[in-house]
Amino acid sequence: MSATREDVGGTPLPPGWAKPAHQPDAFELTTTTFEERAAKTMARPFARGAIANATDHAAALTTARFVGTDHDALREEARKIRAHAIANLPDYLDHWIDQAERKGTVVHYASDESEARRIVAQICTDQQITRVVKSKSMASEEVSLNSALEAVGVDIYETDLGEFVVQAMGDRPGHVIAPILHRTKDEVHELFSAMAGHELPNEAEALTAFAREGLRHAFLTADAGISGGNFLIAETGDVLLVTNEGNGRLTTSLPPIHIALVGIEKVLPRRRDLAVLLPLLTGHGTGQQITTYVSVAAGPRRQGEPDGPEQMHVVLLDAGRSALLGGEFEEALHCIRCGACQNVCPVYRQVGGHAYGWVYGGPIGAVLTPLFRGQEEAGELAHATTLCGACDDVCPVKIPLHDLLLGLRRRSDADGHVPRHEQLAFALWAQVWSRPLLYRASTAVARGSLRTLARDGVVSAKTPLLRRWTAGRDLVVGRRAR
Amino acid sequence: MTDRASFLAAIRSAPRGLDPGLPDRRDAPDAPTQLRVGEDRAARLQAEAEAASTVVHRVTASDVAATVARVLVEANSQRIALTTDLAPFVDDVQATLAVAGLTGAIYAEVAPNRAHAGALDATVTGCIAAVAASGSIVTSAAGAGRAGALIAPTHICVVRDEQIVGGLHELFDGDVLAEAGSLFALQSGPSRSADIEKVLILGVHGPGNVHLIIVAPD
Amino acid sequence: MPDDVGMTVAVQLFPTCIGDVVAQQTVTDTERVLDALGIDHQRPSGTTCCGQPAFNSGHDSPARSVAKATLKALDDGSDLPILVPSGSCASMVRLHWRELFHGTPEAEAATRIARRVRELSSFLAEHTDALRDLEPSLAVRVGYHDSCHMLRELRIKEAPREVLQTVAGLELVELDSSERCCGFGGTFSGRYPDVSVAMADTKIDDMVAAKVDVLVSSDPGCLMQLAGRMSRQGTPVRAVHVATLMAEALA
Ligand code: SF4
Repeated sequence: MSATREDVGGTPLPPGWAKPAHQPDAFELTTTTFEERAAKTMARPFARGAIANATDHAAALTTARFVGTDHDALREEARKIRAHAIANLPDYLDHWIDQAERKGTVVHYASDESEARRIVAQICTDQQITRVVKSKSMASEEVSLNSALEAVGVDIYETDLGEFVVQAMGDRPGHVIAPILHRTKDEVHELFSAMAGHELPNEAEALTAFAREGLRHAFLTADAGISGGNFLIAETGDVLLVTNEGNGRLTTSLPPIHIALVGIEKVLPRRRDLAVLLPLLTGHGTGQQITTYVSVAAGPRRQGEPDGPEQMHVVLLDAGRSALLGGEFEEALHCIRCGACQNVCPVYRQVGGHAYGWVYGGPIGAVLTPLFRGQEEAGELAHATTLCGACDDVCPVKIPLHDLLLGLRRRSDADGHVPRHEQLAFALWAQVWSRPLLYRASTAVARGSLRTLARDGVVSAKTPLLRRWTAGRDLVVGRRAR
Repeated sequence: MTDRASFLAAIRSAPRGLDPGLPDRRDAPDAPTQLRVGEDRAARLQAEAEAASTVVHRVTASDVAATVARVLVEANSQRIALTTDLAPFVDDVQATLAVAGLTGAIYAEVAPNRAHAGALDATVTGCIAAVAASGSIVTSAAGAGRAGALIAPTHICVVRDEQIVGGLHELFDGDVLAEAGSLFALQSGPSRSADIEKVLILGVHGPGNVHLIIVAPD
Repeated sequence: MPDDVGMTVAVQLFPTCIGDVVAQQTVTDTERVLDALGIDHQRPSGTTCCGQPAFNSGHDSPARSVAKATLKALDDGSDLPILVPSGSCASMVRLHWRELFHGTPEAEAATRIARRVRELSSFLAEHTDALRDLEPSLAVRVGYHDSCHMLRELRIKEAPREVLQTVAGLELVELDSSERCCGFGGTFSGRYPDVSVAMADTKIDDMVAAKVDVLVSSDPGCLMQLAGRMSRQGTPVRAVHVATLMAEALA
């Protein structure tokens, strides 16, 4: 290896850096309900306000970015490219592998999450990797890579500023693009001061400088860099990474080994397709014209190049993706993880990403989580939306999220994953309301009861049947007397 | 362990979804990252780069070295490296730096020692292209190296007028990327993060001080 | 749709279940506005619900049996427009019935009815000249809330605003959050009441900040949600259907 820890003079990692806090091991998906998780975020007024502000801000930037362009036509073009790539996924993957291997990339195949963990852990063991710098990767969150690597004695440093905070707090990212939008500067200040062993200035600039310094040391001493990948280009065997901080490129440049964990659906046919997809990914992600750093790597360092890793490994991750091909939910694979649907979602805005219980929040989370984790574990999420359709209108690749959510609800129904009381209620409802006479009788009874319960045209009493409505609302049945 | 054949077989065995066909980019609609008809490339590059907080200098070839030296002196940079893609200007820049009492090492000689590379104050690079409509420079592993353009707090990039392409379509359809080596990168302004309460901070892992020198045609 | 909209003289009115149970005022106010315009109207007998609550919960079979009753009642052999004073119900019948009844004996009738169905405010927007002649007037500051399904499925945005603007003395304020969901979402409001109420609150805060007297919408579901929350909070903003506001302005 070209550089070892001892080579690096300068500042050693500050005390408390050697072992960042562990990631939480288990996802909350199976142990709590959406309602319980949502309540946790909603109980933190700052978090709610911050999520609302940040998402409104991002949504406004996205809208502004495309003013005066034929945005819809661009989205349609992107939709076709993604649909074509996914419809021909095995062919494009095959081609990508050929090209990548030709350029010296070692390709690994992970059918599921545990295989992905095993493969990366094995590379680390084989190559005696003990320190890893990591660039933000949602795929690695999916497979809980960090805890698997810690188990084999690897120190991991998340290098995206937000992900670093998440890691050190033992938290989970709250948004696919902005991992700590639910956290305050004060929280980061407290955390970093504790890590530094002294009180740091409570300013974003100083806090960022603190993280930069420690992480710089990690970059210069890491045995490997682990990243995700935003796209795989079949034509050329490329892995593309976008970041704004520059940590993505440093991850693929400085350590002697680069490992990328990438979902198979990230394939694009050609480099020229980036001319359509990149402005959409960045415009919908952060509202930027283009992300500050777009890095496109194919293989390890070549002869004559001044820097770069000696080895490049790519772990292709299936983990539930191929099961969606050709089916009702295939379009979920078109997702480019821009986060725009989260930014416009009125539910996400209230509850944040953690309420969704797994890796992805917001509309795409409510779709992907039941698909990847199973209806039994996560079917509820498809109901945790109002089907308002704002996500459909913003998605840069035009994924019909509303239809997919409705489709998942239907599938719950068809597979019998609906609570018994709900099934009975709808069956009874159908019995009565499919018959006009019974309908008239039932509505007359309902009207009568509401009249009895109402005072000044308003029902506010907590009646058993209306309990979940009247806990926070009245039922206004007559003209309000004011 | 799953191998390539069985991994792909599993994917191949899935039914095929609807294929709308691969659209032809010649019909591609106008993206924000395209040049408007008749728009001046260098002017658009300057505008977009400045919008992304890059300091732009428009100079003639004979002024490149002096501009580089001035920026480095202003930034108080001591440990400086130049990458080989600065080619036509390397000697000139080194000579001018010497006059200012500075030395510009060659990045390829510094890079093998990560500690030294990581301790650089500034790098000066060329590029293989610049994209006017997105305000980006395009660097290659073969030229500026992977990290040459972002390892130090100050980065100066020199682009010649004829290297400027209009937009992303032109970049990806052209042939400049063919010789890029193991990596090419688009870089647009200083490193940035708004992770902490949306406050924009420049210079996180990459440079916070970014200069683009656009060299006018002869 | 009739060839010459100006000539429409008779319509059917589908009150919807929410109009039969909680929003009766909306239905009678709709009738008063139609009366004022001199448009004949009748409520077909035997309608129940469009099936939306079950359909949107993924239960197609109960949705179908209930919607079938309404379909039978509406399919009267005429081609009179069927007015629906509820954006989401109009969207359900217009856009989703075809899917719901696909492959059933009712498929053809569902398509027939889908063509006849009109969301109320978009129908009234074709009669703005006639409305103006009636000199509606009301001195109020009004904010409008777009119902999600009406906005994003039926793509109706301007029509209700055009209708409101026929009223002399009425000041229409564009709310920043006019297109944001109110949190009703049918069964969502009961599944996740706290989230649902919090969603309503962000809208209500916006209305209060914009100092509107009245919040108008074209969907009784959204109105039930927003009025219910404002009533509980004691927020001094009325939430009324566009039909009610017009009936008051014409009175
Ligand atoms: S579903 Fe669409 S909007 Fe949401 S993250 Fe994916 S690509 Fe972006």
